[in-house]
Amino acid sequence: MIDFKNASVTYPGGVHALRDLTLQIPDGEMVVIVGLSGAGKSTLIRAINGLVPLTGGDVTVDGKSVAKARGGELRRIRSRIGMIFQTFNLVKRTTVLNNVLMGRLHATPTWRSLVGRYRPGDVEIAMRALERVGIVEKAYVRAANLSGGQQQRVGIARALAQEPKIILADEPVASLDPPTSHMVMRDLQRINRELGITTIVNLHFLDLAKVYGDRIIGMRDGQLVYDGSGAQADENVFRDIYGRSLTADDVLEAAATR
Amino acid sequence: MTSASLARPAERPRKPPRSLLGPAGIAAFLLITYWAVSSEFGIGLDLGAIVKDLDRGQVILADVLRPDFGFFERTIPAMLETIQMAIIATAIGCGIALPAAFLASRVTAPNAFVLRVDRGVLNVIRALPDLLYAMIFVAALSIGPLAGIMALILFNLGVIAKLLSETIDGVDTGPIEAARAAGAARVQTIRTAVYPQVLPNYVAFSLYVLELNIRASTVLGLVGAGGIGRLLNLQIGFGNYDNVGFIILELFLLVFAIELLSISLRRRLV
Repeated sequence: MIDFKNASVTYPGGVHALRDLTLQIPDGEMVVIVGLSGAGKSTLIRAINGLVPLTGGDVTVDGKSVAKARGGELRRIRSRIGMIFQTFNLVKRTTVLNNVLMGRLHATPTWRSLVGRYRPGDVEIAMRALERVGIVEKAYVRAANLSGGQQQRVGIARALAQEPKIILADEPVASLDPPTSHMVMRDLQRINRELGITTIVNLHFLDLAKVYGDRIIGMRDGQLVYDGSGAQADENVFRDIYGRSLTADDVLEAAATR
Repeated sequence: MTSASLARPAERPRKPPRSLLGPAGIAAFLLITYWAVSSEFGIGLDLGAIVKDLDRGQVILADVLRPDFGFFERTIPAMLETIQMAIIATAIGCGIALPAAFLASRVTAPNAFVLRVDRGVLNVIRALPDLLYAMIFVAALSIGPLAGIMALILFNLGVIAKLLSETIDGVDTGPIEAARAAGAARVQTIRTAVYPQVLPNYVAFSLYVLELNIRASTVLGLVGAGGIGRLLNLQIGFGNYDNVGFIILELFLLVFAIELLSISLRRRLV
């Protein structure tokens, strides 16, 4: 359970990325967060694992305050939260397996990670994560030699290797073409359904949000402006979230056919 | 949307006035150079002296260009010492430089205080030339290769930590964010997300420094810090310029060999 209580984030420049947000996400939900760029989606997601510190209020994960956690305690909270990024954030020069093993660092003693000798059990977990996203045959290939879609699957495998309770995905398909986007979104959906991992995805394409979001949260100017099911979210709702009429750029399929 | 903006084009901006910074800079450069060269303010550079003294140089040059290959056997111990000094200094200097570089980059330093202290120390180390270190260590320790090795270690530490920390500054920070999000500790993050990115540069810098060390050994010997430089100095003193020529040839081949090794290693790593 993720619980935002009057959470606020104000960046040093004075930008209010989150304003007094109160929001609860129960275990096992598949949530899609939509909003224009700059609406606070990334900040919201990064507040959950403490990559962005709150400037007001609190956010708790399973009852533990992320805002108050420091050092080892914060790392323990983060270890249960996997994260997937728009630009994949892989170490391109090293192998796929080494990238996935980053998800096992929280369970690995420092000296082992320094000499690069992971426990066999951790390697096994990493391999199984790669199998789940269907690219285990690339385990010893350099990440740089993979296509964008494959790299994002490695990113998902890295998150899975943490054996997390929650997965955060920050615009996971924004750098991918439409068919690959659907593939990655289906992977995330499968992970949510089969493993029961709470999955929170930032998206800006409305059609993807409607298809994959069991619950949709709309953000505007750092505030929650919509919270409801994907089925209820029609064009009027999105118009309201975006604060303007919709264009072809807001829809993945239309953007692809132009 | 596109057609609307085509119908009413925005007014084109006026070309901004040309900056006078460029010409002013060139003028300042010329003025400063004149100040340094001229006989009334500066060192009074006289290129004619090169031609005037050419006769004396000609004899030396002719001997140097006729290296005495029979001298080879006598250079072996000093040459080996030079290579060993260079390797030891490179290994230790580069070893210390790796953590020093991580502490000297804004990307990987734990806090601003450590960053500033580490950078400060490195700046001080780099401020003095290797020859001066050699003179100090010869005075403090004694004549011999140990003083030379100590001088080279400090020299290597300064160079590598500087180059490497600047490389770390420019690293892709995405993987760092990913490692932090996965609950990795700082050292783990550096090892898994940063170190692999800078490894090829680190190897290249280390090989470059090995090459610098071989070259530095020629001057280190002048102050008694061991290596081929002592023999070189001796032969210059005796006026045996054919032997000097041979030592120069040897050094050239050695540096060239390291360069070849460096190129092939880098190709394999990148």
